[in-house]
Amino acid sequence: MSQKSRIILGIVIVIVILGIVLGVDQIQRRRLAAQIPELVPGSIPIYVDGILTAGFIPADLDELPDASFVDQEEGKTQEGWLLRDVLLLYLDSRNLEDSQITVSSSSREKSITLTWAQIENEANRVMFDLSGRGTLKLVSDGVEGLAVRDEWVQEVDKIEISQ
Amino acid sequence: MSEENQAAAPQAEKPPYFSTFQLILLALMSALVVVAKIALRLPLQLPGHSGIFWMAVIIVGTGIVPKRGAASLIGLTSGILAGFLGLGDFGILNTFLSYAIIGIATELALLLLGSPEIIPAAMIAASLGHLAKFLVKWVFGIITGAPIGFVTAGLAISAVSYVIWGALGGLLGALTLKALRRAGFFAYLAEKK
Repeated sequence: MSQKSRIILGIVIVIVILGIVLGVDQIQRRRLAAQIPELVPGSIPIYVDGILTAGFIPADLDELPDASFVDQEEGKTQEGWLLRDVLLLYLDSRNLEDSQITVSSSSREKSITLTWAQIENEANRVMFDLSGRGTLKLVSDGVEGLAVRDEWVQEVDKIEISQ
Repeated sequence: MSEENQAAAPQAEKPPYFSTFQLILLALMSALVVVAKIALRLPLQLPGHSGIFWMAVIIVGTGIVPKRGAASLIGLTSGILAGFLGLGDFGILNTFLSYAIIGIATELALLLLGSPEIIPAAMIAASLGHLAKFLVKWVFGIITGAPIGFVTAGLAISAVSYVIWGALGGLLGALTLKALRRAGFFAYLAEKK
């Protein structure tokens, strides 16, 4: 086989792998859409006192201001959107006062419960950072229980609010 | 000396597959992969951008130790180092496999594509190696039941970004190998064998 053919074959392999990844992702999205018709596939459901109230959808990100901070552990910039702004898109702040907000990831089996006061305080930088594979990770700049990498909640798939 | 001992003698003198000097070079490259991940940071919010550094290191490693298994050994060793150093957000197994697969996939790609000194071959091999890292993270996500990407285009952007940064790393590695050849480094290496 000539060098040119080998290089073309290499490029084809890269394209095929990309195609497989995106194809499987689309199948997953369709399957999820069939299971939960109320939610846009990939959206994050927001439950208030156990009742599905809204689904945080990607298009909402365009409306939100960006937020960032440099994490002290690795010096990386965490960039995304404040959880406060996400919640205020759907809920009135008066309804959130004195409430407990639990953000969880079923795949990572992790969750964190925070008060609205902690989330509302902009200095805490309780925010979602977009991971490399397009999922959301809840991070913060020093909030107790969410201060270091091990405590961050990766692959968030549910937000629950109890009042 | 008995006949048995005479027959065994040539076997004992068989040189090891990698010389000690080559193993030192490969260990150095493995350490460089991890150091590149920790110390060299680009202020870019693009997934996989650190691949420009470590894919360059792996391509240089396969060029200066031109034997099968060199890239895999770099990947496995750097995976062990990265695992022990606690790099990554998804646990030691994910970290180890992510690093190891880079070396193994680059190795397999170079079996098809040939010398890493050929720029297009190095770029595609590095792309495939880096894409394999992305695949490990993606497959782990599927196995653990991770939610599908929040941003629809997130996965596509991420995958393409890994390919591009990997290719740039391959380019950097191939150019480094050419510079090393011009500087007479390979003649120096031949003497060291």
